[in-house]
Amino acid sequence: MDIIVCLKQVVDPELPLREFVIDPATHRQVRAGRPLVLSTYDENALEVALQLKDRSGAKVTALTLAPQATIGDAVRLALAMGADEAVIVDDPRSPDLPGAAKARILAAAIRRIGRYDLILCGCESADWVERVVAPLLAEELGAACVTFVSRVESPDGALVVRRQSEDGFHLIEARLPAVLSITSDETNRPRLPKVKDIVAAKRKPLQAWPAADLAVAAGDTTADGVEVRDVAAPEHTARCEMLRGEPAEQVALLAERLRGLKLL
Amino acid sequence: MAVWLSDDHRMIQATVREFAARELLPIAADLDHTARFPAEVITKAAALGLLGLTIPEAYGGSGLDHVAYVVAHEELARACAGFQTIVTVHTSLVCEPILRWGTDEQKRRYLPDLVSGRRLGCYCLTEPAAGSDAMSLTTTATFRGGAWFLSGTKIFVTSGVEADLCVVYARSDAATGARGISAFLVEKSFPGIKVGKVEKKLGIKCSSTAELILNQCRVPAENLLAARGAGGRVALAALDGGRIGIAAQALGIARACLEEATVYARQRAQFGQPIANFQAVQWGLADMATRLDAARLLTYRAAVLRSADQPCAREAAMAKLFASETAMWAAHRAVQIFGGYGYLQEYPVERYFRDAKITEIYEGTSEIQRMVISRHLLAAP
Repeated sequence: MDIIVCLKQVVDPELPLREFVIDPATHRQVRAGRPLVLSTYDENALEVALQLKDRSGAKVTALTLAPQATIGDAVRLALAMGADEAVIVDDPRSPDLPGAAKARILAAAIRRIGRYDLILCGCESADWVERVVAPLLAEELGAACVTFVSRVESPDGALVVRRQSEDGFHLIEARLPAVLSITSDETNRPRLPKVKDIVAAKRKPLQAWPAADLAVAAGDTTADGVEVRDVAAPEHTARCEMLRGEPAEQVALLAERLRGLKLL
Repeated sequence: MAVWLSDDHRMIQATVREFAARELLPIAADLDHTARFPAEVITKAAALGLLGLTIPEAYGGSGLDHVAYVVAHEELARACAGFQTIVTVHTSLVCEPILRWGTDEQKRRYLPDLVSGRRLGCYCLTEPAAGSDAMSLTTTATFRGGAWFLSGTKIFVTSGVEADLCVVYARSDAATGARGISAFLVEKSFPGIKVGKVEKKLGIKCSSTAELILNQCRVPAENLLAARGAGGRVALAALDGGRIGIAAQALGIARACLEEATVYARQRAQFGQPIANFQAVQWGLADMATRLDAARLLTYRAAVLRSADQPCAREAAMAKLFASETAMWAAHRAVQIFGGYGYLQEYPVERYFRDAKITEIYEGTSEIQRMVISRHLLAAP
């Protein structure tokens, strides 16, 4: 089985809030000078791929679309965790491209890689949270698509995956090739790379393809009808309410409040 | 600080930081309160490759340099100094001397097991009457019938309870001082070695500290480490590396103090404002950060020299001296910033305060480090 995992580099979400800055001219997050890491759900997707590799010897290719100058540890981390090879599609514009354009470029790269049975993406990126790349990628490739997959139950023969839903999960059978968007689950917590694999990752195949060579029509990578008018950081407000009474009364009050907030 | 580190170093730092966050931070306080040996975390650390960072790949290690070692050990100690003690003794005082001085057969027999965690190592130098004056040790090694027989009592042995391979220093020849000492690889299963008193300590409680009693312990001739009479040199050279590991431990403790105190200073309000607004607190944090960076640079320098196989006794002593005194000082400052809360077990700084003290004592007290440094200054031109 050949698996391609699409990985996105994002500004480290663990950075202090003061590092989260929106450029007022471009309405984009300022990335310069900030460490880039793998987007959270992409790491879960990579872990799912690596578990399939552990189980049935799949070949795992890490694919990322990014300006090559900004490629830091993220791709090497994927190789150190166990991906067999990596492909970087070098596009200086990529951080500012809309999801549809990214999907078209990634599809072109995947067609050039050639062999693929499963394509795994994070269910959403940690910065833009658009949730569009996986479905649009499937559309581009004419592949099946299942979103919000927490587990791949049976990778061989008929593909059966577990799709998270609000009231539990669905077991879905899909044909190959398929694009899966992966959500986090207790079974796909990203592994830590072994120290010797960090060293060995430098020796694994890493290709960089200029996006311009992928013959994606220029119009397909820019105009998709999306215009970002404004972006603002959400305002956080905190309010503390003390619940009085005996423990049993406090629990009842707490449950009522949580239900009121639709958290229960 | 990252500007000094290679890509390898930064990735190892990130990996060990995450390992420590997952496996050590959540249990560090409990390990301290219960003085429990964290066997399950040692196993996980071995699987990640942390027991053989500087050991060549041929023996199952990762073949990294000593800067990688320092970077990794600072992260371990940041989360749990007691755990780091176990690993640094195992690596720098057991694996490294075997790598440097051992025969091919000794390396093949012991290193893969030590690196994979199938065996744990301990270092047996100190005796009741031979502490800072380690070369006055009196444990005897007598050669008869093709084997060595060791008798004596070793104390303050880190991991003495759990370790199964002991590097034991004993007097094999009549010469006084370092010249009459030999080093031996003693398996705990050899007849005539047993664990004696297990100490109760101020800090680093999850690492055991035990007495080991040797009574005519039979050690095969092939388990002599390095040449007969070279044991003093082996012991002291191992401590050069060991001191870099303790310096890294002190960096981890000092950083823990700085990070916890910084967070607390922002949160804690007195006189209607965060205490971080007060200059007394600001200057304390600034001094902690400055001393920590200086200690780290001294430690990196010693590690770079050791990686290049250059003499580093003076630099290792300086790093250990400055980093350990920085850790103790930073812990003192951190407890003061926390005030009454810093004195409680509910907050981690009281543990850092207790853990920090040992770094000024073991693997050579601060006074011994100053002796080593001044000897280099005053050596005949």
